[in-house]
Amino acid sequence: MPLVRSLSVTSLLEDWDEEFDLEDAILFEIAWEVANKVGGIYTVIQTKARLTCEEWGENYFLVGPYMESNVRTQVELIEPSNPALRRTIDKMNSSGCKVYFGRWLIEGSPYVVLIDVGFTAWCLDRWKSELWEHCGIGVPWFDREANDAVLFGFLTAWLLGEFAAQCEEPPHIVAHFHEWLAGLGLVLCRQRHLPVATIFTTHATLLGRYLCAGNVDFYNNLSEFNLDKEAGDRQIYHRYCLERAAARCAHVFTTVSKITAIEAEHLLKRKPDIVTPNGLNVKKFSAMHEFQNLHAQSKARIQEFIRGHFYGHLDFNLDKTVFLFIAGRYEFSNKGADIFLEALARLNYLLRVNHSEITVIAFFIMPARTNNFNVETLKGQAVRKQLWDTAHTVKERFGKKLYESLLVGQLPDVSKMLDKEDFTMMKRAIFATQRQCQPPICTHNMLEDSTDPILNCIRRIGLFNSSQDRVKVIFHPEFLSSTSPLLPMDYEDFVRGCHLGVFPSYYEPWGYTPAECTVMGIPSISTNLSGFGCFMEEHIADPTAYGIYILDRRYRSVDESCNQLTSFLYQFCQQSRRQRIIQRNRTERLSDLLDWRYLGNYYMCARHMALAKAFPDTYIYEPHDPTATQGFRYPRPASVPPSPAHSLHSSPHHSEAEDEDERYDEDLEAEKDRVNIRQPVTLPYRNKSLTPLPEKN
Amino acid sequence: MISFSFLLFLTEADQAFVTLATTDAYSMGALVVGKSLRRHGTRKRLVAMVSPNVTREARLSLEEVFDEVILVNVLDSQDRAHLSYLGRPELGVTFTKLHCWTLTKYSKCVFLDADTLVLCNVDELFDREELSAAPDQGWPDCFNTGVFVFIPSLETHGQLLQHAAKHGSFDGGDQGLLNSFFSDWALKDISKHLPFVYNLSVSALYTYLPAFYKFGHQAKIVHFLGGTKPWHFRYNQQTNQISPGDLDRILEQYVNLWWREFYSHTQQQVIKADSHPDTGLTQHSFVSRPRQSEKKSAPAQAVSTLQTSSPPLDTQGTVAETQTKEEERSLELRLLTLDEVSSEQPDSSVQTSPSEQPEEMHTHPKDVSGPEAEYSAYADLHNPAPGQGGTGREPEAAGGSPTPSEEPAPEPTPVETEEEKQQHRRMWEEGHADYMGKDAFDNIKKKLDRFLE
Repeated sequence: MPLVRSLSVTSLLEDWDEEFDLEDAILFEIAWEVANKVGGIYTVIQTKARLTCEEWGENYFLVGPYMESNVRTQVELIEPSNPALRRTIDKMNSSGCKVYFGRWLIEGSPYVVLIDVGFTAWCLDRWKSELWEHCGIGVPWFDREANDAVLFGFLTAWLLGEFAAQCEEPPHIVAHFHEWLAGLGLVLCRQRHLPVATIFTTHATLLGRYLCAGNVDFYNNLSEFNLDKEAGDRQIYHRYCLERAAARCAHVFTTVSKITAIEAEHLLKRKPDIVTPNGLNVKKFSAMHEFQNLHAQSKARIQEFIRGHFYGHLDFNLDKTVFLFIAGRYEFSNKGADIFLEALARLNYLLRVNHSEITVIAFFIMPARTNNFNVETLKGQAVRKQLWDTAHTVKERFGKKLYESLLVGQLPDVSKMLDKEDFTMMKRAIFATQRQCQPPICTHNMLEDSTDPILNCIRRIGLFNSSQDRVKVIFHPEFLSSTSPLLPMDYEDFVRGCHLGVFPSYYEPWGYTPAECTVMGIPSISTNLSGFGCFMEEHIADPTAYGIYILDRRYRSVDESCNQLTSFLYQFCQQSRRQRIIQRNRTERLSDLLDWRYLGNYYMCARHMALAKAFPDTYIYEPHDPTATQGFRYPRPASVPPSPAHSLHSSPHHSEAEDEDERYDEDLEAEKDRVNIRQPVTLPYRNKSLTPLPEKN
Repeated sequence: MISFSFLLFLTEADQAFVTLATTDAYSMGALVVGKSLRRHGTRKRLVAMVSPNVTREARLSLEEVFDEVILVNVLDSQDRAHLSYLGRPELGVTFTKLHCWTLTKYSKCVFLDADTLVLCNVDELFDREELSAAPDQGWPDCFNTGVFVFIPSLETHGQLLQHAAKHGSFDGGDQGLLNSFFSDWALKDISKHLPFVYNLSVSALYTYLPAFYKFGHQAKIVHFLGGTKPWHFRYNQQTNQISPGDLDRILEQYVNLWWREFYSHTQQQVIKADSHPDTGLTQHSFVSRPRQSEKKSAPAQAVSTLQTSSPPLDTQGTVAETQTKEEERSLELRLLTLDEVSSEQPDSSVQTSPSEQPEEMHTHPKDVSGPEAEYSAYADLHNPAPGQGGTGREPEAAGGSPTPSEEPAPEPTPVETEEEKQQHRRMWEEGHADYMGKDAFDNIKKKLDRFLE
């Protein structure tokens, strides 16, 4: 089924600065993860807040659950600024609820309304009856999360209803609900006919995640699933009903990516009105190529770690070593670790038969159950440290002798500079580095060593870090931290130090990991089944040149995808250092595309659409004809692609190298790219006093 | 001699074990309490208090075991702040417990929580005075209110309520209240301290495991404290075991015992129910007497309760993990349940007459006025939904007995009777929505579309 270009990405770019008067409109954004980190939605809401605050000022309120520990660290409780809202909260608090108001201490410091769900648990049974009466959905008592969703839904609907009642003249309320946990509030708003324009955003579908994890050929059977049966058999029928009811009732329904839009169309039976991709707050460095320097620094630290890890087997050139990594939740097949390993095995073969000088080290950063670090890896770092110390001591003694002989005005006698004692010391140090075993694959002691899917797969394909292997594997089953004795770097530094992120996910509604790589100027591999991949494919004419490799996992068999991934990896390994630098520059330039300042516009459009639907007398939104406009795209870079993507690897690169030097002009190219993406709108400041934002370059 | 035994009989009849069920799940527990007391040959009366939201089927199955089943209106704790503090908001309803002091036709009672299991005859408890109880494992200077001896008295009851209103409860539940009310328990009279074996909390075992190995065999009453109750586990009737690995071994052993008790004599009871169709609700002062017509459907309902209230067995999602044998069995069970439902439908719809509606009103959701019923200067105007125009009462005030208001003439539209609706909803709440049949999303969608347009 060919993908029709969605309304989202094409037409909107034409009319960013559409006039929409929001003076008497109020925005509530409701999610379970407001000031409460559970998963990825938190990041979305937290990073987006600044932009939304700029647009809505005093009229923007986030609504979430009250969790004491979170409030202590993230929220400053204050008196409500808006008089109607203050009356609403007072009223609710006097009727047996606990509702708090404050500022969320993040960028933009948005207002938050936090509702203590547990406090109102005594209403659960009555509310469940009401839900049963109106919607025919029952919620099992053993599903705590779903019961919380019921309470949260009723409380948010109550809040909105009360607020509407407290306002002297009915304002135009927009309520934006995220995910099924908040969805019931939306259904109730509609059921009670509250004057609220509703938006429902789903960041993934419940059923989709379950089905994908179950190893079915998901995307090719999307239209064939018997949804009720699949959900019921998996014991999530009530959750699925809540999600689908919210999608059904919303004025505007959105998802985060085109691929999730297709999924939603089949699994929730409603086509999203608009796609609202997730953005980041991009930090721009003042110096043009600061990120390249950071890459070099972080790479040096990773290299140090490698020196220790492979002590006794350092028979490869670290300057010709490429670092790849995969990171994320430990979902072996959903995250694509399976095909990554397979492709690594094939890459190993290719590099060996072609006598390549390149060594590839692939990191797997996926937390699993472990029993702390493994002795062998810790020993590796200790040995490295010892060698460093030895070299340092010898250097000191050497320097001292040199100095003394210079003081007496003689040129040093080279044969006497190192005495016997020095040699003994060095011999002893070298002796300690001898190693009988192979460098370990896993840095930790795994609790489920014999059943671990990654380890079992490595055993099967035989990548054991032996000296003949050109591809080495390191599995770090814990999140990175700057306090680790092994690899003391946090995730961001680590990513900066790598050459390529590999995320061949099968199920990835959005995919922040490749997006984060991109804004740090690190190329990445993603798939056309991930939201990020779809988005990039649509925006860039030649993604590969920009360091965005997009794997086809939708229309190809696993084996074909695997071959494609292998060829991506092989191409990447063939690049010269200079080509990699150019590629990183291009990658980094894409970060504008992922900035909320640009992507926030989709949210704006969704809100306008909802307002126009709910209050047709006041607001008008003209949908653009998707066929009329051509999609905006980053063009192919002016100079040749840095990677030999379109030439066979046997072609002689070296003859071209000189040519390329002349043809590549970074500034010129950057300028062209800048023209092609319209600068994000600058919003007029509202009356809310905001801390001035760091200027963008 | 005769007069002596007559006297003895008298004392027996005016003493009772009392338990309490506030939900259908807890009535499974109450059932086991009753059965285990009977099994160990108690000579006291058995009384179960149930709150109005317990379904009729569950009440009927309790009546098979208990001498008396009393409907009690839920008296909610006034002090919700403390409740949520504990993170166990469901505790609030145990305030209904206080109602046991009004059972003045008995001279002395022993209260047993619905999550206890009696392991031997414990009639000797009636030799103790009010208020005798076992220490709580968490703070042994407080007693645990899972098992206690008390003397019903309206006066004490009143004082308790007054105390509750004045001082609240320091843990937000009944235990805090009773401990501050009977505050001299810890120090005054050691004979009011029941030995720990009368209220052995299973979750406490690991704090002093050697003691359990030494004394554990003397346990008389086991108390399943904590959030996970025996009825939350899946039980395989073929192997007489819950699915292993969920629990440590000691707890597993007791949970297995509980389930064996739950299934014991089920067969006989079904038969008994058939032959004595005339067991009805015991009347209590403020409960209107149920109509005769309602009782006729009792046996069939009782059977279906027994089938359906064993949720773990026919859960669809786990079929794949269990053996084929069990699969067949659970399939059979499911079919049976379905049969029952379908065969019941014409039957009970015939019996439902408008005249019995007021009785149903007790559990009817619309009847209860709630907090958000009172917001809405706006909603009042714009919300056509029934039951929204509440009176603005404080929710806590809803504790009084609801007076059945006049129900409008039976609507012509509903296909389901009130009773079937309850049953239907319960299936959902046990995780058995009929997603391939009447609960298909298309039907839900129709409901949604009614208010969307």
